[in-house]
Amino acid sequence: MRHNILLAFSFAKRDFKERYVGTGLGQLWYILSPVITIFIYTVVFSDFMKMKLDIVDNSYAYSIHLVPALLAWTTFSTILMRLNSSFLDKAHMIKKINVPMYTFQLAIVLTELFMFTISMLLGVGFLVLVDQPVTLTFLWLIPLMILQSLFVFGLGAILSLFTPFFKDLKEAVPIVVQLWFWVTPIIYMKEMLSHKYPALLTYNPFFYFADSYQDIFLYSKAPSLARIMLMVIMTLFILFLAGYLYKKMVGTIKDII
Amino acid sequence: MRKVLEVKNVSKLYKIYKSNTDRLKEIFTKKSYHKEFIANNSISFELFEGETLGIIGVNGAGKSTILKIIAGVIEPSSGEVIRHGRVTALLELGTGFNNEMSGYENIYLNGTLIGMKRDEVAKVAKDIVEFSELGDYIHEPIKSYSSGMRMRLAFSIAIFSEPQILIVDEALSVGDAHFASKCTNALRERKKQNMSIIYVSHDLNSLKLLCDRVILLNHGEIVEEGESEDVINSYNFLISKLNDNEDKMVIKEANNSSFGTFEVEIKEVKIIGKKSKSNLISSGEESTIEVIIEAKKALKDMTVGIMIRDKFGQDIFGTNSFYQNIAIDFESNCSYLCSFDMPLNIGTGKYSITTAVHSKDNHLDNCSHWLDHATDFEVAGIEGELFAGICRLEPKIRFTKRDNQPCTE
Repeated sequence: MRHNILLAFSFAKRDFKERYVGTGLGQLWYILSPVITIFIYTVVFSDFMKMKLDIVDNSYAYSIHLVPALLAWTTFSTILMRLNSSFLDKAHMIKKINVPMYTFQLAIVLTELFMFTISMLLGVGFLVLVDQPVTLTFLWLIPLMILQSLFVFGLGAILSLFTPFFKDLKEAVPIVVQLWFWVTPIIYMKEMLSHKYPALLTYNPFFYFADSYQDIFLYSKAPSLARIMLMVIMTLFILFLAGYLYKKMVGTIKDII
Repeated sequence: MRKVLEVKNVSKLYKIYKSNTDRLKEIFTKKSYHKEFIANNSISFELFEGETLGIIGVNGAGKSTILKIIAGVIEPSSGEVIRHGRVTALLELGTGFNNEMSGYENIYLNGTLIGMKRDEVAKVAKDIVEFSELGDYIHEPIKSYSSGMRMRLAFSIAIFSEPQILIVDEALSVGDAHFASKCTNALRERKKQNMSIIYVSHDLNSLKLLCDRVILLNHGEIVEEGESEDVINSYNFLISKLNDNEDKMVIKEANNSSFGTFEVEIKEVKIIGKKSKSNLISSGEESTIEVIIEAKKALKDMTVGIMIRDKFGQDIFGTNSFYQNIAIDFESNCSYLCSFDMPLNIGTGKYSITTAVHSKDNHLDNCSHWLDHATDFEVAGIEGELFAGICRLEPKIRFTKRDNQPCTE
């Protein structure tokens, strides 16, 4: 077990190192892509479209609302989709080498978490540029990001167990993920949903994460204890379920991939 | 001796379903939705320290399945495998190599994949590079390697990972002769240091050379277990039963070359080792070539001859009844058996037998029937003292100091 977790770390490290091997800019791409994302949304929404939010006193308020949740969503959906097809992608390995599948999956989560950290740091950098106060409350981002990664690890692992049985899932999940994006208040305000379809918020696990990031970025407001408890329980539950299903199904999956 | 592996009543059932939905339903409900295919049926054996165990069997006998179960890649349906120490499997050489990375980086990557710690890899990395003979290529990306180079690297990593049990599945057949013999030597060396090996191959000669004990699998069950020599002979008997029908066809169709007047016709040619009772024969084993001949016309003063050829079609040895002054007369419509008894003193490899019936000492006169490639056989393993090459000359070796040449300082 310990060896396998260490192995996941070394996989992640390698994955991270070699992703841009052979490119001219090399590891600069890790910074470039979130910077461009932040830049586009800032310029398009705050300058071109003149989207204004009156909630805080900053002409970039809308971008500040958008950036953290969007970066979090990027990580969330990437992990979900990479995990979803992980059994099929790694079939050649797990059929020949005695390394458990969760090692490969954990490595995916670790890589993406690391890139998430870089992009969040850039997001905070953006706040400094637009004169938004950055306080100690921002340290809450760390446990939130880890919790989010664990949650999506569990969710993705569960999906990945069913994908070998129903290959359709490989095609369906990206579409569902897109739907999920639009029912979550990332681009728009949560108030736009809370009156009409409050259930879409209550039963959307990602909403709790997105909302917490937005609170921190906009108001330097730490998540409430009740919310943290909720997220922790949600994450533990999904990890436990993933573990149970993994034990039950992994032997059969090795026979069919 | 210490046991390093215990395989207890291991069975592997593959369940065959109409669809994956049925398969999923069965995991979560108690109802049965499948038909069964038995890949391994209650297999039990033990492996001891420093022992080499061979596993043979025809295709589909369940060899790969049991190897994968031992390696821990798939799980048995019932029974258990107890491993005392690390198992490294060379199921497919170079699995887990990253093509973009250099050979050197791949040593670390592959090493950790097969269960080594990073500092363990660091200790042997230099030896691995040296053994693989890749030289400066080790710093080039793997994608530029030839398949032989990849194989050399993968094998070197496996052998230096110092597993307690090494599973070798047909892996040695990739490299050139030089590296193959280097691998064999390295395996022997490790064996002395108490590593156990499970070796699967269709190369019967290497099985005889390497293995202390062989298990014969058929239809997923252990049919025989014991001395390599005996088990390989049973294996060959098993194959010959499978091949029986095809062999006769070959002669009848005579696709290569069968010509002559056919006044006297060669019906069947067989070679049988005295011990093996089949056409897999050890070098030096007493064996008999039997030629069954049918005469349609009465012919006097004829010759029956044989020629043994190697796989390149080179003549290795030939003789006939004319050379041995044996007169052969055929009566019309009779059947004859002409046999050649001899110790098969030729080197290991695959050979074919060509037979002919003609008059005098060659087939240019009155050739009744010339049958190329009438049958083939394999020489595997050597009885008595070892030798190299294709013929056993049995020299007496003497070694003395030369009297008239005093030793110089």
